[in-house]
Order: sequence, then C-alpha cells, then structure tokens
Amino acid sequence: MDEPVWGPVHQDIVGLLADHPADVPAVVDHLTKLQDLLVRLPPLERSCPLADFNELYLTITTSVLNGLYDDRFADPVFLARLDVEFAARYFDALRYWTESSPVTPRAWSCLFRRMRGPDARPLPSAAAGVNAHINYDLPFALVTTFDSLESEPVDGSEQHHDYLEINQIFAERIPELRRGYLDNWQLMIDMLNGDIDDWYQGELVEYTRNVAWRNAQKIWRCRHDPEARECERERLDDNAAALGRLLLSPLGAFLQ
Amino acid sequence: MASDVDTAPLVGRAGQVATLRSALLDDVGPGQTAAVFLTGESGVGKTRLLREVGDGLRAAGALVLTGACLDIGDASPLHPLLQALRRFDADLTASHARTSSAVRGLLQMFAEETGGPDGAGALLERVSRGLHLVAQGRPLVLVLDDLQWVDRSTRQLLLYLLAGLGDLQLSVLAAVRAESLQGAHPLRRVLTELRRLRSVRVLDLAPLDRADTERLAAEIVGGPLGAETAESVWQRSGGNPFVVEELARDLREGRDGLSDTLREVFLARVDALPEPAHAVVHAVAVGVEPVAHWLLAEVTRLPEEELIDAVRAAVAHRLLVGDDDGYRLRHRLVAEVLAHELLPAERSALHRRYAEALTSVPAELHQARLAHHWRLAGEPARALPAAVAAAGEAERLHGYAEAHRHWSVALQLADAPATGASAVDGSLDVDRADLLRHAAEAAHHCGEHARALALLEELATADGAPPVCALHIRRARYLAAAGRSAPAEAEYRRALAAADCTSRERAAAAAHLAELLLHLGRYADAGERAREALELAAEVDGSVSEVVLASMALGFSEAYLEDPDAGLAVMREALATAERSGRPEDVACAYLHLAELLTGPLNILEEGVVVARRGAERVAELGLGRTYETRLLAIATNGLFRVGQWAEAEKVVAAALRHRPSGADAVELLLARCRLWVGYGDIEAADRDLEAVATVLAGGGARHVIPLLTLRAGLAMWQGRHELARQAVQRGLTESRSDDVGILAALVWHGLRAEAEAYASRTVPVDRTAVRRLREVAERVARKSEHAVRSVRDVVDGFLALCDAELSRLDGNSDPALWARSVTEWERRHHPYPAAYSRLRQAEALLARRSRTATAGKLLRQAYQVAQGLGAVPLSTEIRTLASRARVPLEAHGTSVEGRSPADAEPAGTELAALTAREREVLAAVAEGLTNKEIGQRLFISERTIGVHVSHIFDKLQVRTRVQASAIFLRNRPE
Repeated sequence: MDEPVWGPVHQDIVGLLADHPADVPAVVDHLTKLQDLLVRLPPLERSCPLADFNELYLTITTSVLNGLYDDRFADPVFLARLDVEFAARYFDALRYWTESSPVTPRAWSCLFRRMRGPDARPLPSAAAGVNAHINYDLPFALVTTFDSLESEPVDGSEQHHDYLEINQIFAERIPELRRGYLDNWQLMIDMLNGDIDDWYQGELVEYTRNVAWRNAQKIWRCRHDPEARECERERLDDNAAALGRLLLSPLGAFLQ
Repeated sequence: MASDVDTAPLVGRAGQVATLRSALLDDVGPGQTAAVFLTGESGVGKTRLLREVGDGLRAAGALVLTGACLDIGDASPLHPLLQALRRFDADLTASHARTSSAVRGLLQMFAEETGGPDGAGALLERVSRGLHLVAQGRPLVLVLDDLQWVDRSTRQLLLYLLAGLGDLQLSVLAAVRAESLQGAHPLRRVLTELRRLRSVRVLDLAPLDRADTERLAAEIVGGPLGAETAESVWQRSGGNPFVVEELARDLREGRDGLSDTLREVFLARVDALPEPAHAVVHAVAVGVEPVAHWLLAEVTRLPEEELIDAVRAAVAHRLLVGDDDGYRLRHRLVAEVLAHELLPAERSALHRRYAEALTSVPAELHQARLAHHWRLAGEPARALPAAVAAAGEAERLHGYAEAHRHWSVALQLADAPATGASAVDGSLDVDRADLLRHAAEAAHHCGEHARALALLEELATADGAPPVCALHIRRARYLAAAGRSAPAEAEYRRALAAADCTSRERAAAAAHLAELLLHLGRYADAGERAREALELAAEVDGSVSEVVLASMALGFSEAYLEDPDAGLAVMREALATAERSGRPEDVACAYLHLAELLTGPLNILEEGVVVARRGAERVAELGLGRTYETRLLAIATNGLFRVGQWAEAEKVVAAALRHRPSGADAVELLLARCRLWVGYGDIEAADRDLEAVATVLAGGGARHVIPLLTLRAGLAMWQGRHELARQAVQRGLTESRSDDVGILAALVWHGLRAEAEAYASRTVPVDRTAVRRLREVAERVARKSEHAVRSVRDVVDGFLALCDAELSRLDGNSDPALWARSVTEWERRHHPYPAAYSRLRQAEALLARRSRTATAGKLLRQAYQVAQGLGAVPLSTEIRTLASRARVPLEAHGTSVEGRSPADAEPAGTELAALTAREREVLAAVAEGLTNKEIGQRLFISERTIGVHVSHIFDKLQVRTRVQASAIFLRNRPE
C-alpha cells in the first residue's frame, strides 16, 4: 500500500481517469493518452501486459470511430453510445484498481495484478483483456445503452446488425497481431466468448460470438430486479476471471 | 426514542461537508438548480454525510426533505418523495400551519390522482407547484438515500426539476452505492451525461486514509491506539469508516482479537443478544424498512414491555436503529450478514406474519408490501389480488414500469402451482386473459416492446382471448412503437383482411397503416390507404379520429408528391369535420397536423404560424392547453424564428413554457428558445437552456441530441471557442444517422464554419482531418438528399450552399459567387437570418479581392438592416467590424460608422492621441503580431499602404520597432 499502484506515473493516471469521456473521439483520445502512460510503467515498460491489451483496444476503437465517420453502421447513435459505455467500464475497472477498491471486477484484477511483472506474453495478455472486456463488460454496456436509448436488444434489429459488424472489426484487426497463430487465436476467442460449459458442449463459433449479446438479453429481462442482476454479474465476473487466469497461466503461452 | 446509543464523530470529511454546502446552497442562485450525487462503497459513510449536510443546510435556512429508495424491486412510483413529505409533515409543529397544509395538500393530490393519457406530465407539473407552496420561497433541498433503488418515475421527476422546468430553486443530494453502478444499472448512463453539466457534481467518497482511520478509532476507543492495534485496525478495515467504528467499539469493550471480519463482528453480537432481541432483529431483517413499532409488535408477538427491552438490547448491540417512523437495521452490511442466518421455513413464517398483520391495517405501500410478503410466504393465492391492486395503484400514478412489474408478478403467481393452504382450495380463480391484457399494455407503455409482444402472443392462445382483428391491430401498434415497421405493416394488412373486423376497426387500421407508410416514405401507397380509410370512415358515425389521422397521411403524402393544394384542402376539410363533430382531441390533432403541414413540407411559414397560434387558442378553450397548446406554440415559435420575427417568437415560447411541459415537448421548446438566445448572442441564457436540455435528455432518448450539439457549436463560435465548437460537431457526426439529411446538413455547416472561423481568427490551427471528414459527410448528404422529398431537399440545398462557400473561405480564397448562391437559396426560402450571414461573407469576399466595393457596401447595409431588425447582436457586431475595417458606411445617409469601430469605441490613452483612427486600427493589428500583408488582408488595403501607416505610427510614437509600438499600444489599451 505504501508504493502507489501506478508507480512513477500514478499521478498522471489518476488525473487521466478523473475525466470521463462522453463521446467516441474522446474515448480514442483517452486510450491514446493511457497508452503513453502505460508503456512508461516500470519495470516492464514496453512489455507491460496491460499496454498490450490497451494497444489492441485502441486500434479497434479507432476502427470503430472511422466506421462511424464513414457511415459504416445503420444506427450510429446506438453504436457510439455503446462504445462510450463499453470503454467507461474499462476505465472504471482501472479506477477501482487505482483506489485498491475491493469491488474491482475479478475479471480485470487478474490482468492488472500482472502489470508489474512477471513478464507475460503479449498475445495472452491482450487476450486476457479482451476476455474481461467482452465476457464481463460488454453485456452490461449493452443493457445500459439500450436502456438509455429507450430501445431493447432484439435479434435481427439494426442494432444487432451493427453489433455483429463490430465482431467483424475485431476479426479484421486481431489477426494483424499474429497472423501465423490465427487458428489458436480463433479457438481461444471462441472459447472466451462462451461459458466454459457452453464450450464443452461443442457449440459453434457463430453461437459463441453471440454469447455477450445473449447475456445482455438475459440481464435485460431481470434488470429491474437488483438481486437477480447482481447474481448475474457475479456469475459473469467469475467466469471471465477463471478464463483470464487460464490465459495468463503458462497454458496461455500456447497462443504465442 | 434513542436513535443511536452514541454517535461516532465524523472524521476526515470536513472538506466534503464544506464542498457540499456550497454546491447545494451557497453557490445556487435564485431560481437555479444544483445536484450532487455521492457515490461510494457500502460503509464508507454516505448516509452519515447526508445527515450531516442535511442538518447543516436546514440550519442555514433551507427546507430539507429526506427520503430513501426501497430495495423491493416492485416499490411504487415516487415512493421516496412521498416518504420524504410524510416524514417532513410528521416533524412539523403547530407553528408551521401554512407549511403543513401545503404538504398535506400535496399528499392529498397524490391520493386523488387518477391515471389516464398524458397525465404523467401534468402530475410533474402539479408536484412542482406543490413543492413551490411547501418551500414558500426558501431554497428546497431534496436528500435521497439509496438512489440505486430509485423507481423510474422518481428519476424522471428529478431530471424534470433539475432542468428547471418546475420553476423551482432546488438542490438534490443523493447517495448511490458504488457497487450497484457496476452492473447494468440505469443510473450509470444518467450520471455519465449529468456529470458533464456545470450544475451537477458526482462526488466519489473514498475510504479514510491511514491517519484518519487511526483518529476515528482513537476517538471511539477514547485514547490513543498502540502501534500494533492501529496497524491491525487499518489492515482489517481498509479505511472503511463503518468497519473502523465497529472494530474500535469491540476494542473498547475488550473484545480485541476475536473477530477478523465484519461478519464475525456482527455474528458475535447477534449471538450475544437475549432471545426476544434476537427475534426482533430477524423480524426487521425480513420486513420492508422502516418497520413500524406496531407492526413489529404484531410480527414478533412480544408483549409491549418485553418488546421495548428487546429493541433496546438490539440498539445497544448496534444492530438496529430506531426513528420516528420505525426501525431499520443499522446498516445494509448487517442485512447481508443476517440474510443467511434464517432457515427458509423461518423466513416464510415471518413473511406470513407480516402479511397477516398488514392485511388488518392499511399502511404505506400497502398493496405492494402485501404482495411481497404473501409471495415470499408461499401463498400465491393471497399474493395475487394484492399484486393486481398494486399494479392498479402504480398505473394511477402513471408508473407503467412499476405496474408492469406487478402485473408480471401477478402472472407468475397465477401460474404457480398452488401449495400450502391454498392447495386445499384447488386452482386459483383468475381471469388470465385479463392479466395478460393489462400486463401487455403496461409493458407497451413503459417501452418494453419485446415483452409486450410476447405477452400478446400468450394472450392470443389464452381462454377469453380478444377477437382476431383486435389482436392484429394491437400487435401492429406494439410493433410500430418498437420501430419495427415492416412487421407492423403486415399486421395492419392482416387486421384489414380479418373476417371479424368491424367497419370502425377497418377504418382505424387503414388510417394507421397510411400513417405508417408515410413514415416509411412510401407516399403513393400511403395516399391510397388514406383514401381508403376516409371512404371507410365516411360510413361509420363518430369516426372523426380516423378521419383526422387519414387526412393527415393524405395531406402529407400529397405534399411530398408535390401536389400541395390537394393535400392542404384535405387537411382543412378534416379540421372542419373535427370542429363539427369531433372530440376536443380530434380538433387539437387536426390543428396540429395542419400547422405541421404548412410549416413543414409546404414551407408556407406565415400562414402556418397563424394556424398554429389560432389552434393554440382554440385548444386552450377546449381544456387541452397543457398537451396540445404547448406543441402548437412550439411550431409557431420555430416558424417565427425562421421568418425573422424573433421578438414575437420569444413571446410565444414564453407562453408555451408557462405550462411547465415535460419530456420531448419541453426539449422542443427549450431548443427553440435557445436558438433565439444564440441568435441574440445571449450567452448566459443559451447556456442555461442547453444545460436544461442535456439534463432532460440524460433520462433517455436520442432524437434531440444533434440539434442540441448544433446549437452548442453555434454558441461556442460566437464566443470564439472554436475548439469547443469542433468537439460538439465531432460528437454529432459520430452520433447521427446518415438518413437524417436535414439535421446532418446543418451540423456539417457548423463544423465547416467553425474551421473557417478558426482559420480566420488565426488563434487555433485548422484541423485538416476534420475538414476532410466534413467534406465527405457533405458529399454523402448531397447524394442521399437526391432521393429525399422536395421540402427536405430544399433545406439541405441551403446548408450545402453554405458548406461550399465556407470551404472556399477555408482555402483562403473566399468565393463571392458561392456566397451569392447561398444568399439566393435562403432568400428563396424566406429565411432572412442565414441570408444575412451569407451577405456578410459575400461582402467580405468581395472586399478581400478589392473588387466591386460598391456592391460589398450594399450587401453589408442589407445584411446590417436585417440583423438589426432581428436583434441578432453577434451578427450585427461582425457586420459593423467588417464595415469599419473596410470603411463602409452602414447607415442610409452615408454617415460613417467609423466612430463605432472597436479600436475607436473606447477612449484611447494619451500616448495614442496623436494617431488617426485608421492608424490606431493598424497599430492594434501590429500588436496582435500580424504582418503587413495580413493587416492588409484584414483592412482591405494594400500591403504598401500599411507600410506607410506603420512608418507614420513609428514617427508619431517615436519608436523604431514593432515591439516598441505594440508595447505602447498595450500600455494604453483601455481595460
């Protein structure tokens, strides 16, 4: 507790996190600034596992922003809000971690804990971040977005279509990281997107990609019931944390 | 009653107390609003801080109302406000007779409220009037605890009041558990939007630091702590004041080292309780807080003396607190510890006792609580009627979200296998179809479209299902509300084809279908259906609503298909029919549609404004002022703004806002008024309205976001804050649909204008990427608008003309021909304001090319006359500045306006007295660091002439460098 969580860049990060970006250009700006700080975090600096994730996330969010400017989506209001809300959850997790708060999602803390070492492979690190972000944050971000737009998650809707379009962006960007390991990566992403149970049941790729969406629909139905909502949150957090730990274990290295 | 055996001191929060006090009272001007949302983990001391600050504000003369939200998921609408009012009333003494009668009047109003269409907005208005009476001119502070459990109605009320729509000086202080915001909480998004506003603060309450932890512990223990003890308290509590306090109390009582976790601390205390106190604590844990004394007596079945002893023991062990309105567990954390201590059978037995006790005596939240307890007692048959009654109660207060939850519970109960006592009676006697019908309608009203449709499917197969045609119409209505137009269209067609369809239903279905097709842009189809609907309606008496709706669809489709006269005639005829034999709502709708038709696609603005105002008077006579008069006046305001009658528009919008509208109506009017403020250059007023709009929009919806951002950008440009304007436009571009071409075109123009202004001001570099993007969007808009209807295309063309011209300005070569084209576009549509702006720029471009100076002068004079007539201060100022730079006289008789040029307006210092006005202008530009070439461009004279001026200046001031000359200028600059 005596040394600040973020070492020499602690004050910078606290200052950055005090701001809450409210639109997609601001999110991109925020992630860029964060990246500059993370790579200065000793002892790992450029190989900081969180920086690996942050970089990937920045790349993807920039693609989303360009997509918004280029009229790629049917319902940009939905997608822009979703993107902001989605990012807010990552920033929240960082904020909780900064405050050493006991409510830091477990899905994230397993990655944060590795920030100061030991060194982890970049691909599993980025994957662990993607895991926390998609399996834990995304369903809630979806629910909040629909709620604020007075809309709802309906299969086959414009929003659903845009949502799947984001999957496309992930698919476009991720292989760039390491094209040669595409198969392993694909396998891992598919596994990540689902509960372990679902995965063992041998369900298909398409199905598992939709798990966050389906989880959002599940939460949507019980969103007025604080107890059920919390129960669902715990479940998602536990699942994502279990997978995150697996990714960051020596086993995760098989990705590289 | 002893509410607290002894209160621990408030440690480490002095800063927050002061911040909150100034944010909620001292810094809030008359008629303004403010809010602080306090977030933090459980036990961090939110409630304690609320109390402390509330007491302080009360002592400072504010009227403080305190309430708390409830965690039973099916609480009733506006519960925290009602609770706060009742508590406040109970605390009033006889000397406050006037306040007391105001409070009772307000409570009575709630009791007498009857549900019905459009009533939700009227209720908000009445609540704010009631609070006004209660406050009697004092600042009002609403303190709400546990906001994470707030119901939707209260949420909307808070946003309404904070937006200033209630015309009330109000501050809100609310506490939210940080943990709850983690998941999918509806407040998350609301807070994200609100925290950007000046009047709102979100304050995160962190745990205490190590020094404060030790101070707090030492204060409780009554002496300094040993180093080891202090370390252990710090380690175990993590600075959470609630935990620190409990650990310290154990320390003081010599129980050190026994308990490692809070759970153990409390379990040890529960174990130490005498038997009756044990029962009391568990009973309260099962109840809905606060549990009244009489209720606790009934549930625990303890004799009075014993009960009081038991309560005292529980309070002494710091598990329970008592207040005037009843008992609560000391802390939410205690409830979590106790939750697992009872066996299921024990819990349901307690619920049964609560239900039985409540059955005999009606109490606050009567039906909702009865339903809750009977359900958890495992008695669906008895819970069911209570749930139905609670749903009815919620609908009475327009709380459809809450009502929907109660109806859903009722359905679950009806489907539950009968157990326990009710099993003996056999199955439940309920009309399942009736429950489904209500549940579906409530879901539809609160925007749960998918759920409404699912319930309708169930209804279709239930016994006693409505006839086929009625079902199709209903399904179509729900689908259309969900924005699923294609399946909605199919449903209307099925309704029309259904064998059991009555003529009335057929007319209604055809009229709605026509409306739907209109929205889908299929104007020919819409017209055909509308004619069919009119024919059908002609055969049925009393189908005026259908006539009005079908005429609207026909009128608009004709207008879009460019036969304006035919459409207009139909709509006028419908108005006559409505006046002859319709309900008041039919008359109001007819006026509304006619005014929309005139000011919208037909662009016959003057007549549209007249119709809207006449309609507003008429509907006020008919008693529909709040809903329809407001909307009609909004149309009139926007029309008046466009034709350039701003003073009149200002009057009309003020009249419309007197109804204290809410929701989309309020947003529409505030945006209309803000447009005026931006035009006038009244920055403060514009800012206030923008904040109000943002506050209302934080509650949900996205339709008005782009107009809001456009106005924000426009305002920022008049302030010279190009960066801000750019940000607003950027956000707008990422959040707008590309098919809203009209709205998007206006936004793009603002973006390009912001870049052009940045270029002209030389203070901010031009963002070339932004320009490229704006160019792309402009091209896209142009492409898409080719397929749009004429009226939309006209608007788009006007803005695109502006965009093209701004682009030429950005290249440093503003093209007078492009500006002239923009003048023509806007003149053609009779919009004087953008036309005047275009004239200004055309003149500027001509002057920069030093050609046709006479034309430029004429343009400036025309623009100036319009701007002056409108009262458009910032535009007038720009015109004057340009005229003075170019030495163009603006007044009719050739009187030069030079006397009013900025460099001349203020008395110059003595050192500058020798300079001419022109030399002073040149010197001002020199002091800004401009080169001779740049000064020449600005003042429309050649670079060489500037050189001459500069040498004269040097002579007169007896200096040798520009820096020295600038120094003299700055020294003598009037402050």
